[in-house]
Amino acid sequence: MALLEIRDVHAGYGEVQILWGVTMKLEPGKLTCLVGANGVGKTTLLRTVVGLLRPSSGTIQFDGQDVSRLPAYTKADLGLVLVPEGRQLFTDMTVMENLEMGATVGRARKEIKANLERVFEMFPRLKERQHQRAGTMSGGEQQMLAVARGLMAAPKLLMIDELSLGLSPVLTLQLFETIRKLKQTGLTILLVEQNVQMALAVSDYGYVLAHGKTALEGSSRELVHNTHVREAYLGL
Amino acid sequence: MNPGFLLAYLIDGLLIGFVYGIAAMGLTLIWGVMNVINLAHGPIIALGMFGVYLLYTGAHINPYLALLIVAAVGLGGGFMIYWIAIHRVINAPHLSTLLATFAVNMIIIGLGTAAFSTSPYTMDFSLGSLTLGVVTIQGTRIVAALAAILVTGGLYLFLYRTATGKYVRAVANNRAAAELMGIPSARILALSFGLGTLLAMVSGGLIATFFPFTILSGGAYELKSFVIGVLGGLGNPLGALAGGLILGLFEGIIPAFVPNTWVPVFEFLLFVLILLVRPTGLFGAKR
Repeated sequence: MALLEIRDVHAGYGEVQILWGVTMKLEPGKLTCLVGANGVGKTTLLRTVVGLLRPSSGTIQFDGQDVSRLPAYTKADLGLVLVPEGRQLFTDMTVMENLEMGATVGRARKEIKANLERVFEMFPRLKERQHQRAGTMSGGEQQMLAVARGLMAAPKLLMIDELSLGLSPVLTLQLFETIRKLKQTGLTILLVEQNVQMALAVSDYGYVLAHGKTALEGSSRELVHNTHVREAYLGL
Repeated sequence: MNPGFLLAYLIDGLLIGFVYGIAAMGLTLIWGVMNVINLAHGPIIALGMFGVYLLYTGAHINPYLALLIVAAVGLGGGFMIYWIAIHRVINAPHLSTLLATFAVNMIIIGLGTAAFSTSPYTMDFSLGSLTLGVVTIQGTRIVAALAAILVTGGLYLFLYRTATGKYVRAVANNRAAAELMGIPSARILALSFGLGTLLAMVSGGLIATFFPFTILSGGAYELKSFVIGVLGGLGNPLGALAGGLILGLFEGIIPAFVPNTWVPVFEFLLFVLILLVRPTGLFGAKR
């Protein structure tokens, strides 16, 4: 059974409709990527799944439960966690406090020690900087913290919006390597990425969003060889 | 001018400054966490004054014990105001929350005027005074300053050392991200408004132990709270306390040289100057 099932979701901001029927299925333990041009509705979709926006129609099922209309703050407890675009850290708080805020829900609070050790092992940089204010770190370090904070919530599904945005190629590679390792631990991941080549290289399955709809889907290997994807997103 | 008198003025100003500090803390906490300018701040301070007064003169409860009751009422009342008047407009433009809190302001003043008229009340309460040379300090002012320090310390520990306090800071810093982490932000906003109200009422209660007051008295302290907010930076309890002390000292020193009526002139001159030179506040807060 799919961990997350999005069925014909329509959503938008006020009068402006952005999603016109998105359908997606995420299999447990898989890394799925979602690609598409700028402004096509990727971020809107994630915001809808996590409850910051209400879908005007369609359903979202997570872990066998209809979560379409649940408020955002109940999602983390279910294990549905978003690493939002632009990191959205608590910039005035320390690195440690940001990580603590990641583990506010009951499930995560019990595992806080083990999870802290795990993310510090994954990102030793954060351990060094744990008492520093999050807003004073570099962009790359902030992105590491955003991912680490998401992991502190002990997610069943981790959704990452624009992992590599604004990062140097070296850091991007490093973070993708981390994501790959996370996948090997059995975590289900949904990756929204502008770097389509990298996204397809690391993921198992991919969706292409166009005009607010799912335009194309398939295993990442298939998508890499798809003529339309190659022309439109890979520039080949 | 006799230096002894100047010292007496300064000490008086400093002690009252502590109380100004917690009044301002109430205003800046609400602004810092929820971006709401609470125009009901003044009348809520006045309610604190009347709360302590009524419990003392009516029920003969010690004013400092009465203060605890007033604090609890303030917290609960703040929750209520939030859920009834503010929650529905919290995401609307600033003008809506301004109008909402202004409405609360008018309601409290209207009801308060009906109940207490606008004539002054005085609490017949004294803790004696302490005389050191030419300096005489009222006991109530010393206790008020100590209470203010306790309240500030308590608030600081709450915000920086408890889980709920950290949620308050997280919501203040980035509300959407706090929601994503599983923090129910509406409840945290209600709590913050409750705390802001609590601080306002406690400061009012402390002031009532040494100054006469009317239902309209809170307005002056509300304005001072704005000045202090700018001095100390919004949303920072220690900054608010420091700002309160500076304003208190200012108020102590000015009457030594010019008539008392000039105090607000200098206060707002200071306010405008700081806005011009350091719009984020003297102690560098975030906004």
